[in-house]
Amino acid sequence: MTVTLSGGPESTSRAAAQRVSWRSSVTARWRTNTSRRLAFGYMLLAPAALYVLLLVGIPFLFSLYLAVSDANVGDQVSTFVGLANFRAAWEMDSFWDALRNSVVFLVVAAIFKSLLGTSLAFLLLQNFSGKKLVRALVVIPFTLPISVSVLSWKWMYDSQFSVINWGLHKVGLIGAYGSESWPIWLGQPQLALIACIGVNVWRSFPFSAIVLLAGFTSVPTEVLDAARVDGCSFFQRFRHVVAPMIFPILIIGFLFDTVFTLSDLSVVYLLTAGGPGTASMILPVLAYQIGIQAGSLGRGAAIALMLVPLLFPALFLMLRNLKRRDW
Amino acid sequence: MSDLRPTQTGPASASRRRFLKVAGAGMAGASVLTMLEARQAPAQIKGSTLRILTWSHYIPAYDVWFDKFAVEWGDKNGVKVKVDHIPHLEIPARMAAEYAAGSGHDLILNNATILARLYYKSLVDMTDIYDSLGKKYGGWIPAAKSPIEVEGRIYGIPMYYILLPMLWRKDLFEASGLKPPDTWELARVAARTLKPKGNPAGIAFSHCNDANLNWRSLMFSFGATETDPSGDNPTIDSKEMRETLRFAKALFDEGMTPEVFSWDDASDNRFLASGIASWIHDAISAYRTTESTNPAVFKNTFVAMEPAGPGGKRVSVAAPIVFLGWKFSKNQQAAKEFMVHLVDNDKEGMIQSTGYNMPFLNDNAKKPMPILGVDPKMQVLQDFPKIVGFYGYPGPYTPQIQEVANLFVLPDILTRVARGQSIDDSLKWGVGEYRRIFAKHKRA
Repeated sequence: MTVTLSGGPESTSRAAAQRVSWRSSVTARWRTNTSRRLAFGYMLLAPAALYVLLLVGIPFLFSLYLAVSDANVGDQVSTFVGLANFRAAWEMDSFWDALRNSVVFLVVAAIFKSLLGTSLAFLLLQNFSGKKLVRALVVIPFTLPISVSVLSWKWMYDSQFSVINWGLHKVGLIGAYGSESWPIWLGQPQLALIACIGVNVWRSFPFSAIVLLAGFTSVPTEVLDAARVDGCSFFQRFRHVVAPMIFPILIIGFLFDTVFTLSDLSVVYLLTAGGPGTASMILPVLAYQIGIQAGSLGRGAAIALMLVPLLFPALFLMLRNLKRRDW
Repeated sequence: MSDLRPTQTGPASASRRRFLKVAGAGMAGASVLTMLEARQAPAQIKGSTLRILTWSHYIPAYDVWFDKFAVEWGDKNGVKVKVDHIPHLEIPARMAAEYAAGSGHDLILNNATILARLYYKSLVDMTDIYDSLGKKYGGWIPAAKSPIEVEGRIYGIPMYYILLPMLWRKDLFEASGLKPPDTWELARVAARTLKPKGNPAGIAFSHCNDANLNWRSLMFSFGATETDPSGDNPTIDSKEMRETLRFAKALFDEGMTPEVFSWDDASDNRFLASGIASWIHDAISAYRTTESTNPAVFKNTFVAMEPAGPGGKRVSVAAPIVFLGWKFSKNQQAAKEFMVHLVDNDKEGMIQSTGYNMPFLNDNAKKPMPILGVDPKMQVLQDFPKIVGFYGYPGPYTPQIQEVANLFVLPDILTRVARGQSIDDSLKWGVGEYRRIFAKHKRA
């Protein structure tokens, strides 16, 4: 067959033949089980992808747009200002205080939630009467409306009528109201942050416990029995058998917890509004005060986006670790 | 002899038209008169719905009255009225959401955080009813325009303001031979004398509205100012401000306890009701609540005139309450009619709030005011309208001042000083924060 560069009836028929063969190969491929399963898989994934795009992707892109604009709550027109909002945030002392407090808040809360969550999960694994009732009760802090629970804590931390202080005074650990040793939970800089972390831990550690409990119950008893027969102690079983087996669950739980803690606005806002001074100021509260209450959407968005560099490396490392383990 | 036949003035059809015109005009005039007589609104608002967003008043009985009052007005004018109450701190977020959505309430109340200057491009111009109400009631008090005026136009109707006077324990003062707290110096002496006896004084230093309001009263009474009259430039870096900070530090060290760093807006109420406080500087709700919670304290608690600063100046910084209306509201006419009706019943509102709501209109502020005029302890509040100021004094209540207040910059300057940082360093930090916020708004 001669191929002509200028085309002609021969080349046309050849192109038509190629099209037919391409179509038939596509159809053939489509007819294979693999490709059909692949397409079906994508179809099933589509709603989730759409959900992520609509509820995560678009708001994220919108906040990026706000952060590089001079958007204001009362003005429909905004202009591009580059990185001016980020620079303005970096010039604020309160931003650096908020960043430091956010990191301290995250790390300290994570440590306590891990310890308390693990302990509680082990306790709930044991057999005892009223186990179901206890399991239901421990999730109460997590299920209560946050405003109600934080209001209760505000009363417990009250400078004058604190039930915590009353208890400590009754057992002789602190002096009477008005004495130097009477703690002002929400008024002393270190105590204010500790008090906020305390409420966050109280609210969230049942979630950690339930996630861990789900993991523990998924470990086959035969494996644990085998380890026991091999002479493993409780901690060895936990370290070398249980932890590796529930690692994916641990990581997912940790991811959720990191995101929830870093973006927790309500506890600090309702307890101290970031005070006294900037002692308990965290990034979400600062972003809310500047972005919504003061109306500077652009700067508020820029401050809120500062959470991303904090979250991203942690998420990246955790997800990479998960992938490497081939789960 | 004159012709008795009727004169033909034009074609018959023109007469009919004229008859219809005259009859129509007569009917319309009669309707207007009837409406005015019956205090009814124009017919075009009939069948419409008026949605009002307001705060949860510190005096719950006022909310009950307001809701009933609004519904009754609606029934009378054929308007369906819906009133929603939310905590006042949530109003800015709700306004932002309604603005973004382009729909929401027809009238929105702002309390302390006045957003008129931030949203004015999207708010209904209420200059007409502001002026007519001013004429009708002898003018507005001087501070009234500050939160709602932008470029000579008025974008809201001031409803009332909340005073934060000095509430002091007469029994404790007298037992120690102390004079009533007529000046800040006398208040400091009282706190210094009574704290060792177990009765400290208290003003919040924390991130709450009370801290923003009370410390500004002290600051302005000391002759310090927040902005120049244009509102464009912060003026806190002054000799008077340094004197204010020195005084506040001494007041804290000598007469208060560290709990003032943790207070919210209700903590000083509890502090007074517990019987411990020698004095607090707070809204009269603190005084009112003791009536039921601690009658002995109530009996001995008195309300004082705003204490004078070293130069004899008195400025009482109050929390203004205004109503704003969205431009996108489909029921602006009903909103305006309701505003007028509400202001016409201002005195009833004062009664229902048990004297908590202070009037913006001069005629309503004349003595004797309802409730306040007949209560010997509270009569002094009738002298406050002439010394009332708002954030930004003597300048207007601008968005930059609003941001300064939202970020609690002033209470934070005072907190730094009270906690031992030098006055110069604290003020330097504060001036930096003010300038940064003002510069940002200037750029915008």
